[in-house]
Amino acid sequence: MKYPIFILSTVLLFLIGCVPPGQAFFWGDYSSTLYSYKKTPDEKTLAAHKESLLLIITESPKKKLPVPPGVYAEYGYMLVLEGKEAEGLGYLDKELSLYPESGVFIARFKQAYQKKGGS
Amino acid sequence: MKPTAVLLALLAGILAGCAESITKQEFAPNMYEDHPLTILVLPPINKSTAADAKEYYTTTVAEPLTNMGYYVFPMEVVNEVLKQEGMFDTETMFNVPPQKFKEYFGADAVMYVTILEWNTTYLVTSGSVNVKIACELKSTTTGEVLWFYDDRVSVSTTGESGGQTGLAGLLVQVATTAIKTAATDYVPLASRANQTILFAMPFGKYHKEYEKDRGMKIEKKKQPTAEQGKK
Repeated sequence: MKYPIFILSTVLLFLIGCVPPGQAFFWGDYSSTLYSYKKTPDEKTLAAHKESLLLIITESPKKKLPVPPGVYAEYGYMLVLEGKEAEGLGYLDKELSLYPESGVFIARFKQAYQKKGGS
Repeated sequence: MKPTAVLLALLAGILAGCAESITKQEFAPNMYEDHPLTILVLPPINKSTAADAKEYYTTTVAEPLTNMGYYVFPMEVVNEVLKQEGMFDTETMFNVPPQKFKEYFGADAVMYVTILEWNTTYLVTSGSVNVKIACELKSTTTGEVLWFYDDRVSVSTTGESGGQTGLAGLLVQVATTAIKTAATDYVPLASRANQTILFAMPFGKYHKEYEKDRGMKIEKKKQPTAEQGKK
């Protein structure tokens, strides 16, 4: 009986090998709203994309998933652009604490932002 | 011995169902040496005739790439920083040594993408995207190519007819496709094209199969034939 078990486990290994990768993150409508915003940048498409980002931030914990890489940073960046500097930089710090590997990038952004004329 | 025969037949069936394959370890050995975590996707060079191709690509790459387990820098913010650094032109960025992006962003690897063809088709009841993309992931430590893709991808969708049959069903289908085609309909297709391309990449740290996929079989891409290679 050992032989069939061996074959069965081989079959199972092949099946596992064919399974598509599991979703590690929840991205909502991110791609669609970002595309619309890039295509026609106006208040309406910007608001829709911001809403999309905020939804990812609020929905991810409910799905027991971490907020995807870059989402806090992008949302923070948009707030900074709107002049909500303190709140925006707060989100950039959230990116940093969730993903420490973003450290150099976040520091570079803050530096670039200051160069541009922000405080 | 009968169960054995059945299992053998099943195994043969599964094998036959898979295209010619190669393991991820064989395809991208440098990925398993270099262990990149952070990936910077540079704005692509668009050599296709579709003006939208660049936007379709850049807005749909983060989702599949992070789901493969990588930290992907948000391109909107990256673009802003690059502008501040005086880098506006994609061609210029492609000539910057990869090591610079480690210094600028803390990127472990940089993805260089060239869109060669980007054709969207609208066939009354279905839409499709046929693209040809060449991309290279380079290490910012060694400058070596860690992974690449250079092939065509084709994805299509047919509007759901909502269970109705006959002419009424067809009309509903036409209307659905037309509505979808009007706005951002190609976004999900572009997303699926990106997913297909990136699936051949070894998993990164945030994927539960990280480091366990060396033996995972991926489809071995045939070299495009001379006929296909012609524009």
